Formats: sequence, structure tokens, C-alpha cells
Amino acid sequence: MKQSLLIIFLLFALGTINASAQSKTVKGTVIGADDGQSIPGVSVTIQGTGVGTQTDVQGNYSISLPAGAQALTFSYVGYASQVVQVGSQSVINVKLVLDSKALSEVVVTALGIERDKRSLNYSVQEIKGSQLSNRGEPNLLNLLQGKVAGVQITGASGSAGASTNINIRGIHSFTGGNQPLFIVDGVPISNDVDRTNGGSLGTNGDNQPSNRALDINPDNIESVNVLKGAAAAALYGSRASNGVIVVTTKKGGNANKKAEVTFSSTYETQKVYGLPELQTDYGQGTLGAYVSTSANSWGPKFGSTPSVLNGLVTAAGATVPYQLYADNIKNFFKTGSLLANTVNISNGDKDKNFSISIANTRQTGILPNTDLNRTNAQFNMNTVLANKLRAGASIAYSNTANKGVLGGNGSSTIGSLFVPRSYDLQGLPYKDANGRNVFYAPGVDNPYFDAYENPLTSNVDRLIGNINVNYDVLPWLNISYRIGTDTYFDRRKQIFAISSARVPAGQVLQDNFYRSEINSDLIVRASKKNLFLDNLNASVLVGQNINQRKFQNTTLQGDNLTIPGFYNESNATVFTVGSGETSNVRRLLGVYGQLSLDYSSYLFLELTGRQDQSSTLPVGKNTYFYPAASLGFVFTDAFKINSPILSYGKLRASIAKVGKDADPYLLNSVYVTAGYGNNVALFSFPSNGVSGFTTSSRIGSNTLTPEFTTSYEFGTNLGLFHNALTIDFTYFHSVSKNQIIDVAIPTSTGYNTFTTNVGQLNNSGFEALISATPVQTRDFKWDVSLNYTRTRNKVISIAPGITSFPIPGSKFTGTIPSINVNEPYGIILGNKNPTSPDGQFIINPATGTFAPALAGQKIANPNPDFLAGITNTFNYKGLVLSFLFDTQQGGDVVSFSAATYRGRGLLKQQAIDREQPRILPGVIQQANGTFTPNNIQIAAQTYWQSFGTQTDVSVFDATTYRLRELSLGYTVPKSMLGRLPFGNITFSLIGRNLFYKAPNSPIDPEVNTAGASNIRGLELQSAPNSRSYGFNLRFTL
Amino acid sequence: MKNKIITISMMAAIVLIAPSCKKYLDVNNTPNNPLVVPPATQLPNTEVALAWTNSNELDRAADVLVQHNAGLGNNPAAYDIYNVRGTMDNDWDFEVYNGAVSACVNLIKQTQETSPAYAGIAKIELAYAISVATDLWGDVPYSQAGQGLTFAQPRFDKQEDIYQGNAALGITSLFDLVKSGIADLAKTSALVPGTDDLVYKGDLAKWARAGNTLLLKFAMQISNANPTLSKQIINDVITGNNYINSTAQDFEVPFGTAVGNQNALYAYNNVNRPNDQMLSTRFLTMMNNLNDPRLGKFYTSPTGVFTSYDNGATITAPAAASRSKYNTYITGATGEAPIRLVTNYQRAFILAEAALVLGTPGDAQALYKEGITQSMLKTGITQAAVDAYLLANPTVAILTGSTEAKRQQIITQKYISFVGNGIEAYNDYRRTGYPVLALAQNAQGDDPNTIPKRFAYTNNEIQRNPNVPTPQPLTNVKVWWGK
Repeated sequence: MKQSLLIIFLLFALGTINASAQSKTVKGTVIGADDGQSIPGVSVTIQGTGVGTQTDVQGNYSISLPAGAQALTFSYVGYASQVVQVGSQSVINVKLVLDSKALSEVVVTALGIERDKRSLNYSVQEIKGSQLSNRGEPNLLNLLQGKVAGVQITGASGSAGASTNINIRGIHSFTGGNQPLFIVDGVPISNDVDRTNGGSLGTNGDNQPSNRALDINPDNIESVNVLKGAAAAALYGSRASNGVIVVTTKKGGNANKKAEVTFSSTYETQKVYGLPELQTDYGQGTLGAYVSTSANSWGPKFGSTPSVLNGLVTAAGATVPYQLYADNIKNFFKTGSLLANTVNISNGDKDKNFSISIANTRQTGILPNTDLNRTNAQFNMNTVLANKLRAGASIAYSNTANKGVLGGNGSSTIGSLFVPRSYDLQGLPYKDANGRNVFYAPGVDNPYFDAYENPLTSNVDRLIGNINVNYDVLPWLNISYRIGTDTYFDRRKQIFAISSARVPAGQVLQDNFYRSEINSDLIVRASKKNLFLDNLNASVLVGQNINQRKFQNTTLQGDNLTIPGFYNESNATVFTVGSGETSNVRRLLGVYGQLSLDYSSYLFLELTGRQDQSSTLPVGKNTYFYPAASLGFVFTDAFKINSPILSYGKLRASIAKVGKDADPYLLNSVYVTAGYGNNVALFSFPSNGVSGFTTSSRIGSNTLTPEFTTSYEFGTNLGLFHNALTIDFTYFHSVSKNQIIDVAIPTSTGYNTFTTNVGQLNNSGFEALISATPVQTRDFKWDVSLNYTRTRNKVISIAPGITSFPIPGSKFTGTIPSINVNEPYGIILGNKNPTSPDGQFIINPATGTFAPALAGQKIANPNPDFLAGITNTFNYKGLVLSFLFDTQQGGDVVSFSAATYRGRGLLKQQAIDREQPRILPGVIQQANGTFTPNNIQIAAQTYWQSFGTQTDVSVFDATTYRLRELSLGYTVPKSMLGRLPFGNITFSLIGRNLFYKAPNSPIDPEVNTAGASNIRGLELQSAPNSRSYGFNLRFTL
Repeated sequence: MKNKIITISMMAAIVLIAPSCKKYLDVNNTPNNPLVVPPATQLPNTEVALAWTNSNELDRAADVLVQHNAGLGNNPAAYDIYNVRGTMDNDWDFEVYNGAVSACVNLIKQTQETSPAYAGIAKIELAYAISVATDLWGDVPYSQAGQGLTFAQPRFDKQEDIYQGNAALGITSLFDLVKSGIADLAKTSALVPGTDDLVYKGDLAKWARAGNTLLLKFAMQISNANPTLSKQIINDVITGNNYINSTAQDFEVPFGTAVGNQNALYAYNNVNRPNDQMLSTRFLTMMNNLNDPRLGKFYTSPTGVFTSYDNGATITAPAAASRSKYNTYITGATGEAPIRLVTNYQRAFILAEAALVLGTPGDAQALYKEGITQSMLKTGITQAAVDAYLLANPTVAILTGSTEAKRQQIITQKYISFVGNGIEAYNDYRRTGYPVLALAQNAQGDDPNTIPKRFAYTNNEIQRNPNVPTPQPLTNVKVWWGK
């Protein structure tokens, strides 16, 4: 490592030395082949050196060639580069040809089929591996954030391994998964989030376990294609309604057919970012007096003369130590670090190749006792047999170990962290000699105790692999088969030390998850040129899909530990609470077909159909068909528009329907083991050897039918100024009907939900991707990419008579993420302080505080108005500066942290004029019904505690501006590497989340306690976000 | 030729891999849950559901509102100052309705025809569960409750209809429901409960006694609102002479010592939330004034003296180790104390009050004394000590003064005996106004000047059921039978 660095620095030094002597001058003019006009700014470089010049405004250039220079390269954005052998010429005039490739690149589409982008009638966005790799971020989804139009990505928090939510073009399912399907090298893989939260964790305790796309190594990705709409994804069948993320890993084989070894190392440090500014004047207590058990910082001012009255002198006459610990909360967070190393070995050519990739990522989190350690090993190979049968295989193993701590409201690491300003969190012990919790508040865990004594560990062993064969039966007929699997075990262990607040008797919980998917596709493709008439090309695809998914979760919960600090099931005495097993299997058979017609490469028609037969639907009614059609028209070619301004134009439209089956075992009503209570008191059968079963809270239905999402998409692709500016604009509208959901019903029915086909959810919006190269000179290139996403979502109907029901998942009583008719999905109902007709708070005349809050009111809408991201990349002589700014405009977040900070008197704002009485904004209702302004003075504590409640006053606008990524890289020119054994050396400085601004929120609103979930905009005391920076070194041998 | 061989072999491979569709897809039978379970596996759950309804969150709220306990933290502290909104969803949802009610309705449906012994028990239990709900919330779903999609949005029956019945609306009175249950117990039953009956181990005669005693409880509950019916029911039960008349017949649900089998009072107060509530100063004062020997049975005195906290106070609470909290009579040494739903002493107090106020048969004084005696004996005080106490404290032992003054004595003693069963004490308080309770300090809630006269409807039911009465009554509005 040290040696490598030395070499890099030497090379930097070399970079300043000029190239060798000059001996010959060549000049000429560059014109466009399309219009015959001269082109200014064309880059003219001497091949193999990086030395060059550019054409002037008349398109003329002149360049001195060193001895031995053989060829010149002419390049300009939007045109194909040309290499001209110099020979003896001294005048070289060049005609550059418009680069059709610029807009007809090959992209990976459904079923891994590579297609000319020009022929696609729907929006697909490709993210190159280079935009994802070596960024010091282990989670692929976080790396996609801000880069893809039409996609909303939100991380749960800055905790190592925390999950990340992704929704493409809105929300399509009331209670089912809304995460897209993930495909790696043609094989569907799980991006599930498995939650460990047994009864003792309560509904709010969670360490934000990862979404399993975390197991993918971003440094080994060739490209990610985001298939956004149903038309793009229809061939994938049932799971395509939420879009598809197609990941293609790096393959062996390169142009120069030689073995190549690539090393990449990233080191990064991470610090907590987004903590609010706290007051430094007042310590623990309430109403101006010190109270040793108080969670509040409404105590005496620092420096007050101790007295019995202000509590700083005890009844026994002792003076209480009382001083500010300014950074007691901030210093709880550690400086995290991340070290990622990848080695990639590849060899071969396009047909016969292999690659081996081995990688390790180690992260220590910003929270104490949290870490992530991932190891990836992957082997890919492809070959062509003598009989032209092509065969390939890929096998990827990963091990992801993650240790996390509990968050959530209540006694958790984060929930306990809002300590008084005078509490010496770091100086005082968190446990006593017996290993028991020590904290100022009885019955609450010290955050250190919770972090160090009650962690959850997860250890995932995962295998993803596929075997594929491909054979050209005839020049126009191809048959291929691929079978793949994704299997993993997640072995989890949650421990609770004796004396921890949530499980005082101690607990060892083993929570093991197994998921396995097998997927096979047989595909026959045929194509025919000049079918019936000239320039009408047709291709047909028919295929068959077999899919099986298995899941098992076994839980062994050992309660009531005997020996402190010994966390083995043998130390437990009770195993009947929370232990159990759940498993399921689902199978699907599908057949599909696609007909693609292409007339003169400007008119494209595609028809798709798929029929699925699913094990999860009622027998006899489990077969369903869904079609799609799309049309594309390249009008610039059709009408032979050859303008330098409008170089390329395409209009496209599609309509597609995707059917979806049910989850397993929804058809029957069943019995379950009975249990009562929650995290504060719990009963669970069997009791003294007697078992007790009761009806499940869910009523099953044996008349379920598939649910369908119909999507409409209209869009255009435009290339302007020789494609120096490209615009990809799409309007989309989708209607999701007949949803299979567990509709919440009043529990007075004796049940909590019933499964049925109901409801309609509409999404519409538009997305735009604008890419441009505003400046390109010989040495300098500026690329900019802007994406914009605007999605509107509306619940049209639920079930007859039902206008509202809660989204299942982790929440806190009284603040309910909900599905309400005529509202966007996921609005949050909660307690709202009553207001007068003109919108002012109604004040209780007896107390001067807000009148009693009304339950079940709409208080927040987590859906943003729009999202936008802009990436600027500047290239200057091998130096690359790239930064991504993004923004969320609008949307709300309900913040329990903010409420707690305020209610406990912790924020800087709450030290201002604290001794002065205050008047809450609002009005008082008079006997005659009129309202008069509130004039009742109340103490600052009462005032701020009115703003520290779990009501609409804790809802904030989530508008955020963020510098999400910054990187500054330097690639040493090949010419400088000379005889050194390196093919390429790149050194980068990288930073993530370096700056954010949320003008209307006291906390960073880009957190979501539920993580990858249908519940959004709810911060139930999550870990804050982190800011990270570091460097990356990458070189090839 | 080669081409064809490869193609055919690939096709053949696929055909072999793909098994027959029907069999391949026939995997949708859940391995996780049974589709049918016998009544003997359901009965224990109905019993625990009732116990949990009686002793979990609803009890915690009631027990601080009647000032047995004072709240220190979390929900009990909120209840103590009358903030009773938004925290009882779990109890309405999963203890009352999708707990006891659904379990009982389902068991009745399954066993009514073939094994009415089970149906009979379940009817008595259902009546108890519904009475808890209506007593606390007023109008609640009853006649349409627990029947799944038959009534997807159950009607909220008026409390008067729940207790008295309403033929026009198809509402069976709780009295008739219990009577029907008692009648079922006597029928021929293919299956009869045994050890699966956690309460009476299959002794159906005791169930009949429990049912009749429940009739007494219901009757007394409505004695303000409908004294005629009240009196008639009590007279009938006395005439039938088949009610709980010994402590051995108490309707109580046993619990265990293992984690997950402990009673809710222990699990909450001794394990998970030991710092949320403690003995109320007001109750301590009352007990001290009465020299009542039960104090040490109900509450601990870790430092040798009883350490209390005033309802609604904001001062620093006494050190955790010194606080007086529920003692083993209520929690058991390790959570095994039974949850006492209907007891012999309760029956005696009811009959005492009925004799006094309604003129039903029996000697009010004797019944009153029986109530005190049975309560004290039940807590483990010896007969000799009880006798000595009553002898030494004639102002307690002997009913004196006006009828109302005597009633106050009866209810006060009943209130004391109900420590740990806050719901019954709270019901009596709202019915009679006894004992006289001062407002908590720093009261808030819907009305800081009124101890809540009912609980607020829960958010989930409000969100899901349009039949929740509107406007929702505030907590200062009395229920139908209230005073």
C-alpha cells in the first residue's frame, strides 16, 4: 500500500514534465459529414500520448507531431471519433460522421436481452458501474440515490447497514411490497428486509436491518439498468409492477484480450451529521429546579447559587454537582470508518472469458458497537464450444455480518440519548459492578448500556448463481436457457442483558431466516429481415418461466437468563415466548411472448403477452394473462430532419398490464397460538403446559383473483446540437386495481383484517433526464446530467364502506401512517391540535395551552412535490471532478426526535429568554362563539412542552438540499506509466453527504425509522445521518 | 443434424425439469397454522383473554383514576392527570374484541349444538367481556360484535340496550346471555371441559355459580338507572341460591411463574415497567385512618414504612427501592397470583348494598361484614385477626347513619378490597361517587375538573368504524348507569 502511494506521487511529479521533442507540423480543417459545415472545438490528439489541440472557430487546426507519432484522433461530442494515419501527409482534412451510437447504445432489457436503445418504446435508464463503484458506500441503493429519474430512494438512517427504501414511479400496492424486482445477471434475487422484532422488542424497537441488495458489491457492477414502467418489465411477470433493477456484474474479456488485474481500495471516515444545535445554559430538572430523575433540561441555570429551592442543595444539605456537558449527546457518536478492497482478475475476449472478483468492505458505524463486514467472491465464465454452443456460468458468494443497536421510541440506544444537558453521559459509568444498567432515569437503559449490552447481530451467507446456454440453431433462430438461484441464510442473534429496560430478565433470541429462489427461463428467439416488405424487420420471442420461492423463519427465544453476561440458549430458562417457525413456498409457471417490428429503423412496434399460473391463487382460478403494446417513432429519421439543432427525435407510447398473484396461504382463515400484551407486559401460550389457540386476526378469502396494474407511458427522446444535449422525458400514469390486501376492519368484528381484492391506487407523474456536454475542448470536458421526478399518487378507493385503514408495520400508537380514500398513499393520521375556522390554534382558557388534541386527523403527507438531482463532471487532463447535488421539495416528516428535543428543553432556541413568560400563538373561544387572541401567559417550559407533543406540531417540511456526492479523481495518463506494470492508475478523493440544508426542519428529514417499508415520513427516534469523506486508489496490472 | 440434436436435447431437458403443472402448483396449504382446533384448546384462551382484559392497561388506568396507585411515568402518569386518550387501542383491539369477544363467539358457534358445556361457559365469559367494555366506554359494539364480515362495521349498541336488551334491534340483554349460558351448562354435552378449564377444572356447577354471581354484579351496576330490573334480577338470583358463596368458588384465572405466563400486574409492575406507578398517598392515608390490616397485603413496604406518592404530583419520586408497590397478594411472588374476576367478597358487598338500597332479602350489616371478612381472609389475614380488627374498629365494622352513609361505608370497603381490580372499583365509584376522591394535582385531560367518567374511544376503531358515536363523548360525560 505504502509503495503504491509512493509510485502515485512520483507519477504526479512526472505529469508536469513535458513530452519529447517536436519535429513535424500537420494542419487541416474538420467539417461535419451531415451538413458540410466546419466544426469548431474538435479535439485533435496524437494517438497514444494525450497531447493535442483543438480546432478554431473556422474548424482549422494545426499540430506539431513528435518523431514517431503515427496517427491523429479527431473527436467531438455527438460524432464518431476518427483515427487518421499521418504517414507523410502534412494536411489532413477530416469529415466527422454523426455518431448514431450516441443514441443507439445497447442496453440490457428484460430477461437480460440486449437491445438497441433506439428501438425501445419505453424509458430505461442505465447507470454505469463507474458511477457507482469506489464511492465508499456499501449499499447499492444509496449509490443510485439522486441519479435516476422517476425513482425515489430514502435511507433509513446513518446507522451501518441500515436499510434503504426505493420506489419507482410511485406506490402501486396498498400493503404488498413496493420495492422493485432485483435481477442480477438474469436471476431474480431477494431485496427483502427481514425484521427481527419479537414481542419483547415492541412495535418500535428495531435496528433497521438491511435490505438484502446490500449483499451486492457495488465495485463489481458493470451497469445497472432501471426498467421503470410495466412495459419495460412486463416479461418479468408478476413482480414487475414496481419496476425492475437489472444489475449486470463485470464480465471478463476486454478489447486487448489480455489478462487484467484491477485493485481498488477505498478508505473513508464517517461522522454524525445533522444533529441540532443545543442550548448550553440550563441543566437537568423541571420548572427551574433540579430533579435527579428528570429527563428534562428545564432545571436551574448553570451558575445559579445552589439552594434547597432550586434543588441544587439536597434536604440533607449536600450540594449537587451541576455543570454543563456541552457535547454529551454529540460525543456519543463515534467517528466511523470504512475500508473497502476489491481485486478483480479477468481474462479473455468477448466470447471466451472469465473473471474473478474478491472484495471486502469493513465499516465501523457512527453508533457505538455497530459495524458491517462484507466479503464478496464472484466467478464468471463464458465460453463457446466447438459446435458454437455458448455456455456461461456465474457464481457469487457473499457473507455480510452486521451488528446494530436498537432505535425507536422508548428505551433504545437512540430513544435514551436525549439526556439532560448536565448529565455526564461519557464520564459516568453505564453499568455497575454487577453489570446492571446505570442511568439517571429509572427503568430506562443508558444509551451506552443499550448499545454495548443489547446488540443485534446478523450474519448472512448468500449464494447467487446461474448457468446459461445459448445456441444459434439457424442464423435467424436462437434458443437459450438459463437457470439461476439465490439462496441465503441470515443467522441473527439479539441479546438483552439482565436489567435492560425492555427485557429485564434478559434474553437470547436466535432469529434465523432462509430464503431461496430458483428461476428458469427457456427462450426461443427468431428474427426475419425484410418481412413482407423491404425494411420491415421482425423478431419474435417465446419463453417459458418456472419459478419457486421458499422462505423459512425459525425463532428460538430464550428468556429469563441466569448468569449475567453469558449469552447462550443454555443460560435461558423459558423458551415458550416468541419461539416458533414460519415457512412458505410459492411456485409459478409462466409462458410469454413478444413480437417486435421495426420499419426502417424509425418505426417500432412491440407486442408482449404473458400468462402466469400461480400456486397462491385459488385452484382453477389461478391462471391469468396480461398484455402490453408499445410504439416508437423516430421522426427525425422518418422526415429526414437533419438540423444541427434537432439531431434526433423520437416519440414513444406504451400501454402495459401486469398481473400479480397473492402471497402464500391467504386463502384460509386459520388458528394461531394465542397471546396478549406487548413489550410492557406479555402473555403467551402454552401456559403451565396447557396450549391455547384462537382464531387468527385475519379472515381469509378463497375467492382471490390476481391484482392488475395498468400503466400508460408517453415520452420523447431528443438529441440537440449534434446530441450534445439529450432529453429523455416521460409522462406516466398507472392504475393499480383489485389489490390483494388485508383490509383493516374494526376489531369489534372480532378480527383485525380480512383478505380481499379491493381498491384502486393511481400514480401519475413525469420524469426527465437531461444530459449535456456544454463544453468540450482538447483538455477539458464538462458533462452535466440532470434528473427530475414528480410523482402524484392517489388512493381512489379501498373497500366498500372503508375509507381509511392503517399501513401495517412499525409505528407508534396514535401516529398512524394510513391509506385514505382521495388522499396520497401513506398520509399520516395523528393527534392534531384543534384550530379555529381561520386556522389558528385554539387555546384552552383554563391552562393557556393548546386545547385537547383531536385523534385520527391528517397531520402529514410524506410524498414529496418533486425530486431532482444534478451531477456535474469536469474532466481536465485526467483530473475528474464530479459532484451530485440533489433536492427533495416538499413532503412531511413526523419527528419524535424533534418533539423530544423541544419538550425536554434541549434546543438552543429554548434557552432564549427562558425566565420570561410566553404566550402560545392561538385564539380563545368566547362564550358567544367568537375567537379572541390568546393572552394567557405561561412558563417557557409549558410553552415548549406544548410544542414537544406527539401531534401536528412535530410535523416538519422535509424540503432538503444536499451535496450528496463529491469526488475528485486523477487518472495517470497511460503515456506516463511507460514501462511500469500498471495499465491504469486512478486516485480519488471522495465525500458523501458533505452538506445539507433543510430550511424548515430541526433535524435532517431524510431519515425514516421504518427503512425499506411502505411506511414513510415517520422518524421514531432513528439514528441520524452521517457525513463521510475519504479516498480511493484504483489501479490495474 | 448436430443442431437438431442440441435443440431437441435442450427441449427435452426442460420438459423433464418441468413437472406436472397441477402437482407442481399444489403447495398452498399452510404448514404454519392449523385450520381446525378442538374446543379444549380454545377454552384456555378465552379465560386468559378475560383476565388480561381485566388486568392490563385498562386496569392500570382505572387503578390510578381511583387513586389506589399514583402514576410516576409513562401511561400511568398520563392517566393520573386524566390524559386517557390514545393509549388503549391494544386493549380494545386485542384483549376485548379480537381477544375475548372473538374467541367466545367462535367457541359458542362451534359448540352450541354438540358440546353446549363449552358454549355455556363461553356465553358467561362473553357477557363479562362485554360488560367491561360497556362499563368503561359506554355504548360499544355488542350484538353485532365478533361476527367477522357478517357485520363488517358493527353497530355501537346503547349501554341501556346492552344491559336491558332491545328486541327491536335484536339485542339480547347481558342478563339473558348469562342465563342462556347457565342453561347450556345443564345440557348434554359431547365434549366437556377438564384440565383445559383453567378456572374451574371442568366443574360446571361452579360455572353456574359464577354466572349467577355475574347477574348480581350486572344488576347492581344498573341499579341507579333501572332499580326495578336490578331488584328483580337480584331477587331471582337469591331465590335460586346458586351463586358464589365461598372463596373456593371465586371466578379467578390462574397464572404461572414463567416468563410469558405471569399475570399482567406482575409483568408490568415488577418486570418491565417497575417505575411507572406506586402506592397513592391518598389510599395510604385512607388505609392508615382505618387501621386496615390489608394495606401490607396489597402493598409492599421495602423500608419498613409505606412510601407513597400523591396523584398528579410533579416532585421527585421517592427512591425506587423504597417505593410501596403491589404486594404478592396481587402479583404473586413471581407473577402467579390469579386474576380475580368475580369473587365471594364482591358478592357479599353487592348483596349488602342491594339489601340496603333495593330492599332485597338479606341483612345488609351481616353481608357487609361478610364482605370485609371474606376480603381479608382472601388476602391471607387469619380469621382471628379479622375478628380482632372488626372488634377494635366498630366504626368500620358497623354500618351507621343514613342509608347513603351506610352505602358509602359498603362501597368504601368494597373499594379497598378491589385493589388490583381497578375496573370494578372505578365502576362503583362512577355509579355511587364513593369513596369521595379529590382531584389529582395538575390535572389535564378533557376536563381537569372531573375525574374521567368514561374512557375515550380508541383511534383504531375511530379510523375503521364509522359507527363510532359522533360527536365522541368527552370523558366528563357519564355513562348510562353512571351517577
